[in-house]
Amino acid sequence: MWQKIGAYISKNRRFIPLAATALLALVAYGVGAIFYPGMRDLQVFLNIFRNNTYLLIISIGMTFVILSGGIDLSVSGVMALVTISAAALIRDGWNPWLVILLMVLMGMGIGAVMGCFVAYMKVQPFIATLAGMWFARGMCFFISDDVIAIDHPVYTLLGRTKILIPGLTELAQARGEAAPFITIPVVVSILLLLVAIYIAHFTRFGRTVYAIGGNEQSARLMGLPVNTTKVLIYTFSGFCSGLGGIALSIFVLSGHGLYAKGFEMDAIASVVMGGTMLTGGSGYVFGTIFGVLILGITQTLIQFNGSLSSWWTKIVIGLLTLMFIGVQSVLVAQKKGRRKEGQAAAQNKRRWAYAGAALVLGVIAMIVIPKIGASQGLSLTPEANRCQLQPYRQEQAAGLIAGGAIIAYERNGGPNCVDELYAIYPDGRIVGDNGLTTTEKQVTVAEVEILLGGINEYGWFTDDLYDTWHTPCWQCYGYYLTVSYDGQEKTVKGVDGGTDAPADYWQVISLVKGIVPQFTTVP
Amino acid sequence: MKQMKSKITWRKITESKLFFPLLTLSLILLFDLIFIPGFFKVQTRDGNLYGSLIDIMRNASTVMLLAIGMTLVIATGGVDLSVGAVMAISASVAAIMMNPVIIGLELPPDLMKFMNDPNFTYSPLWEVILVTLIVATICGLWNGLLVAYVKIQPMVATLILMIAGRGIAQLITNGVRIQIFYKPYAFIGQGWIVLPFSLYIVAFVFLVAWILTRKTAIGLFIESVGTNFRSSFFSGIDEKKIKLLAYAFCGFCAGIAGLVASSNIKTSDANNIGDALELDAILAVVIGGTLMSGGRFSLLSSLVGALVIQAITTSMYALGVPAFALQAIKGVVVILVILLYSEQARSLLRKLSTQKEA
Amino acid sequence: MADKENEALLISMQGISKVFPGVQALVNVDFSLRYGEIHALMGGNGAGKSTLIKTLTGVEKPDSGRIFLAGKEIHPKSTQHVQSLGISTVYQEINLCPNLTVAENILIGREPHKWGRIDWKAMNAQAHEILERILGLDIDVTHTLGSYSVAIQQMVAIARALEIEAAKVLILDEPTSSLSVAETEQLFQVMRKLKGDNVGIIFITHFINQVYEISDRITVIRNGTLVGTWETASLPRMELIVKMIGKSITVLDEMLKTKAETGKKIREELVLEAEGFGRSGDVDPLDLKLHAGEVLGLAGLVGSGRTETASLLFGLEKPDSGSLKIGGKQVAKYSPLDSINRGLVLSPEDRKATGIVDDLTIRENIILALQAGQGWFKYLSMQKQYELADKYIQLLEISTPSPDQPVKNLSGGNQQKVILARWLATNPQVLILDEPTRGIDVGTKAEIQKLVLALAEEGRACIFISSELEEVMRCSHRIAVLCDRQKVAEFDGDVDEQVIMQAMAGES
Repeated sequence: MWQKIGAYISKNRRFIPLAATALLALVAYGVGAIFYPGMRDLQVFLNIFRNNTYLLIISIGMTFVILSGGIDLSVSGVMALVTISAAALIRDGWNPWLVILLMVLMGMGIGAVMGCFVAYMKVQPFIATLAGMWFARGMCFFISDDVIAIDHPVYTLLGRTKILIPGLTELAQARGEAAPFITIPVVVSILLLLVAIYIAHFTRFGRTVYAIGGNEQSARLMGLPVNTTKVLIYTFSGFCSGLGGIALSIFVLSGHGLYAKGFEMDAIASVVMGGTMLTGGSGYVFGTIFGVLILGITQTLIQFNGSLSSWWTKIVIGLLTLMFIGVQSVLVAQKKGRRKEGQAAAQNKRRWAYAGAALVLGVIAMIVIPKIGASQGLSLTPEANRCQLQPYRQEQAAGLIAGGAIIAYERNGGPNCVDELYAIYPDGRIVGDNGLTTTEKQVTVAEVEILLGGINEYGWFTDDLYDTWHTPCWQCYGYYLTVSYDGQEKTVKGVDGGTDAPADYWQVISLVKGIVPQFTTVP
Repeated sequence: MKQMKSKITWRKITESKLFFPLLTLSLILLFDLIFIPGFFKVQTRDGNLYGSLIDIMRNASTVMLLAIGMTLVIATGGVDLSVGAVMAISASVAAIMMNPVIIGLELPPDLMKFMNDPNFTYSPLWEVILVTLIVATICGLWNGLLVAYVKIQPMVATLILMIAGRGIAQLITNGVRIQIFYKPYAFIGQGWIVLPFSLYIVAFVFLVAWILTRKTAIGLFIESVGTNFRSSFFSGIDEKKIKLLAYAFCGFCAGIAGLVASSNIKTSDANNIGDALELDAILAVVIGGTLMSGGRFSLLSSLVGALVIQAITTSMYALGVPAFALQAIKGVVVILVILLYSEQARSLLRKLSTQKEA
Repeated sequence: MADKENEALLISMQGISKVFPGVQALVNVDFSLRYGEIHALMGGNGAGKSTLIKTLTGVEKPDSGRIFLAGKEIHPKSTQHVQSLGISTVYQEINLCPNLTVAENILIGREPHKWGRIDWKAMNAQAHEILERILGLDIDVTHTLGSYSVAIQQMVAIARALEIEAAKVLILDEPTSSLSVAETEQLFQVMRKLKGDNVGIIFITHFINQVYEISDRITVIRNGTLVGTWETASLPRMELIVKMIGKSITVLDEMLKTKAETGKKIREELVLEAEGFGRSGDVDPLDLKLHAGEVLGLAGLVGSGRTETASLLFGLEKPDSGSLKIGGKQVAKYSPLDSINRGLVLSPEDRKATGIVDDLTIRENIILALQAGQGWFKYLSMQKQYELADKYIQLLEISTPSPDQPVKNLSGGNQQKVILARWLATNPQVLILDEPTRGIDVGTKAEIQKLVLALAEEGRACIFISSELEEVMRCSHRIAVLCDRQKVAEFDGDVDEQVIMQAMAGES
């Protein structure tokens, strides 16, 4: 019986990386469900899809590129360009459906240009797509420096419409729970996945992609249209970047040139973990969804853990990628070893050892990390949604200043999604309000003077301090600080987690932070 | 036959690795000279030099540092995508050693003020620098191990640290962006002794690299391994150790770059320090003429390459081009440069130079 | 040749000449291929047969000569062009995609479609039918190509060539090098079948037995010239060997005298001793002994295992069996660096891929191995480097304006000299020279041969490998013969040529 199983595995050994990823995803989710009851909720699982539609879309495009032996670094730049262009156009009254079409075409256009560079001018994909990314991101800022919000019923429709799943709805209603739902972008991304699988396995184009990745020279000699196919591959990736950008803009309902930073690396990691080899020619589009799932599950696990910082996500992803590459390289060594009999079996053994060690490490990581959280007694089940930064309470702050406050300071976001607004008065009174409770503190006038002196020293009222914005990290704060002093008044906004803000801004924030009182947590 | 002194011929000039990058740099500076009045003005203040030219060099220091290490890695036929992340890790290590504020996150204001004291540091400066560089070198060794011994493709192997590295950097500081108040540390990036201090650091690292590669056999071996590792193997060269050294040194350079960068902004910003700088470093090396396939390299040319990139940026600023347009222009320039370096352009120029010779 | 005669021939190549810088690759070579013929093309490496094929397949453009296909003159422009004309080549490195299935490799670009999508079922059936019909091969076409042995992959390549490219001419470039006896037989069956279908096959090989088993005619090319074309049936084996190796024209007296003198000086001490030394797949276990001041020639046809033996002795691969002593000391660690430090060096067969580092200068190439032995930090001073470079440039008469020329600019002969200089610079006890005179002009060849004997006179030992028997005989004090990966004989250096050739051919 074992022989039969061994033979079956041997015959289908090309599916091993795919199976490994699927298994890992399953195990990861299973482990999570054991430690965190919240994860047993189907909606949490579905939310992974909701939160990562754009990643899935761009990863699908990236899969084709990597299958052909290339790489596309421009994905994040094109996405950002799409978000801000779409936001600008919609703001100017264009029809959102037309805008979506245009954005997708724009993505395809950029992709086609890069594809020509790669195919006809023989520029290395790494460099060509890198230039594409810089160019695309750069073009964002020609449109606008600031975030542009999107406020259009169609967009809201696309983003918020709940699609109920037949069969499960009745079940949930019977239990008195909310019906599990997904959103339109999820459906679109799944559809795209199915289309991509079809293309990869049932069209000549798809098979040519595989051929190019397997041995480009042979593909040419076999008479395949290598150059044309390459251009099409990058065009398709551009299409996915455009579509992904639309999905992102739906998700955050805004657009900005600094969005999507680092997304191309997430896409590459998803593709690699999905079993596709970076050398090209081998892998399955279907695997990519598992790669995306693993990224999503990792994020969810860490989120549920609550005490672990979001950057653990990055470490775990790095480790997982390593593990998968280990498995991949072993399989490659196995394939090559078939040629000559009596090849160094010792070398293969060593590679199996590495792969095995990496696999064990990965499994341990998946188990230990949630356990660390559990042992600290935290079993919070916070919102599965990312903490949205609330809009700054600008009017309220202005009102406080008008009412005599020297400083109005708002801190928004963070790990517990707070929204704290303080007012500091010249007589030393400090009042704070976080929407639920208020707090008060009295300091001396001298301390206020020192504070103001410090703020001045850092050049608050000079041009050295200015507003900055970028998408906040998961547990980062947004700050809104107005200082009214000596006839001058200035507001500077900033967000944690970036170097774009001037350094002195953070010095000022820390001064103010040091003086304001804490909110006592409600038991 | 005595040792022949190399003759300075037109051919030699155009074929030297330094030619193209210097030409590009000269063109940019020429453009500046014509279109930007006062660009070349150098002022003296308190015995220190200031001006646009100085700015170019100063702002380019981090990329120059990265480019030195990256040159060696690319010369062996590989690439290191993780240098930005290593910078972040280094900055975090340095910051936490000087200002372990996370230990006392919610200290009473008066103690906080103590921590804000520019004369206060939790660990002595030399210790901070030493530990940081050791950590950075270990990161480089990790990369080298994966590439040389486990035989993972360099792009993939360094991608891992690139992704995980920022997470590690954040972990070290527990997600807090630590402010560094210690004044002497700020000198690293912001100090000035006639010229910006960071330039001296660049010069020092360059010297070390130059001695390491040209005064020992290491440079020869790197070029040999990058050109044809099989022939090198047949000649008895251990390519694994050479690659390990290259990646370790690249990590070391990234560590120094991290110190300079964090000193510049007086913070350790795990998310953004060194962001996308790895790409700039690779580009600097490519402009400097070292082929991505490996082989002959020139440290000086890579430095010039970094200066070219920075010169474009600074010139654009001086022209009044808003910051946001810069990236787009950079993208276009990259493509132009790469096309210039492509086979067609090179063979054209070679034809011209041989015609001159005949 | 009259047009009428041309028409009767499938391929007719007339007066093909080709010159590369510094080397005359082909001189006025004629070649013809009949319909339904298996024509073996033989000659040593660098003899010109690959160049001839390259002119036929459009990779190289001949300087003069004409090519006719089925009576019409053709001007091959590229591989794809001649493919469309009906001439297909199956190389040793299979030009297919190993990650695709067998069926795909055969039919990609022409897959059967149903309702706009690829009909896998039909494709698999079609591919299977093609393999059965053309080759009589029954395999599972849904497996990836890479999962099959090289033999099967070759078959698939042949099937594609014939079916898709409708080849009328099939060029098989050393197809049996990686095949077992059974697989070779399978290939031959296929070839016979194709013969029956009137396909013309050019069979490039160096295996004499196979040539006699399967081919109808044999053409031998040596040093760029056509030695001749004969019907296989009417050419005795021995004569073939003679034609391939050629007779020496120059007078050998002086060299023989040197050889005899140095022969007297051979010492007792063993510098190399291999016992039962072998590696499965490369060379069967053999014994080899080498004394100081001695030159041991290793004779055998290409593919008989000489290069593998050399690689094994140098430590490039680890042996499966046996032991090796260099300078009396047992070798425990097998690596090139270790061998160099023990004083055993190898000048490899493929100087382009494993010999020169083409971007580095002559000086750098020369001191490379010496420097490797010294390690990273004991850098040879520039003065020393130039001294060494100058010394060997003079000694070996390397023609170059300066030692700072990149090696890739040199001619083949000079490149070989640079490699030799590299090894000489390490002051070795034992030099293994694998085809040191391949692709080199006559004058330089003689110089190198003289050098070998000079080394022996200095007290060093040498293993001299060459496909040119007369060379081996001229320089060697003793000769070992390999055939089909086995050491079959060992002779004194003055033995008769015939005896050696018989051993090489596998006859005792």
